[in-house]
Amino acid sequence: MKKFLFGLAMPFVVFPLALLAYFGLGMSETRSDVKPPAWETLLIESAVRAAVRRSAKELSAQAPANQEAIIAGGKLYLAGCAGCHGEPGKPGGDLAQYPPPPQLPHTGCPYSEPEIAWIIKHGIRLTGMSAYGPFYKENELWALAAFVHKINALSPAEIQAIQPKKP
Amino acid sequence: MKTFVAGFACGTLALILAVLAFLKMGLAPIRADAPPSPWTSHFLYSAVHGAVRHRAPAQQNPLPADDNLLIAGGKLYLNDCVGCHGEPGQPSSEFGATFYPPAPQLPRTAPQYTEAEIFWIAKHGIRRTGMYAQGRSYSDQDLWRLAAFIRQMTRLTPRVLEAIQQRPSQPGISK
Repeated sequence: MKKFLFGLAMPFVVFPLALLAYFGLGMSETRSDVKPPAWETLLIESAVRAAVRRSAKELSAQAPANQEAIIAGGKLYLAGCAGCHGEPGKPGGDLAQYPPPPQLPHTGCPYSEPEIAWIIKHGIRLTGMSAYGPFYKENELWALAAFVHKINALSPAEIQAIQPKKP
Repeated sequence: MKTFVAGFACGTLALILAVLAFLKMGLAPIRADAPPSPWTSHFLYSAVHGAVRHRAPAQQNPLPADDNLLIAGGKLYLNDCVGCHGEPGQPSSEFGATFYPPAPQLPRTAPQYTEAEIFWIAKHGIRRTGMYAQGRSYSDQDLWRLAAFIRQMTRLTPRVLEAIQQRPSQPGISK
């Protein structure tokens, strides 16, 4: 029985130490110009999704966004987000970031509006998604969230309406 | 021995299940706007440092080292890197600070890497950070120019500093 308990405890010491050694000795791969393996994407995406769902509970849902807010959000999106996340009506970008930023106009966004607002505000660590809380007002965050929520279901008129006005 | 192995197997299984449960329950901290603890920072930076040193091929900058090289690299740096990594002579980048881990402020950090390592990082990026690979947007020559500049950034001469600030003159176009 003693031996069994000893064996039971060992993995909790051995594996963390092995992990520390692996990273500490510089064995890890750092290049971001390769695609993550499928298992890693699956594992981490589901962890992020669960964590966002848990954290975003602190934000209460707002009144449904009107058309005006969606267009305003779209303009903000084109100015601040499209560089990494892709532009509606255009082919997806090819940014060699790891993990690659989701091309939202093509994939859509699986989160609710409060969850999207939370992500924009606080960012996601260990990705290229930085925290935009210091740069947007609260109503801008919600307008962006409303736009991103329906980003893969925009009408051509909406895509037209968010384009910057030509001088 | 057999009992130990059985215990070890059960422990391994329990560890894997615990990690999966932790992740699936959404308990992993994911906010990017809380600065990494000193311990985490130290761990992340030394892991990256070790890996870069281990993997970056030892090469010499093929371009002749002179002020022209630094000026050419500096112009590229001002165009594309300052948004996150900060501009020489200016306050730190606020945008760079909102990443987790935060983007190092190169004008005020003593160089940690050799030119060849900087070239390699710029070309291939660093995964799980905001540092994406620039190899698709820059030629190797431009990356070497950048690497030379970044390596020297904390000890630039006023002549170089002044030269990189000058935009190419565009007669007839006023801003």
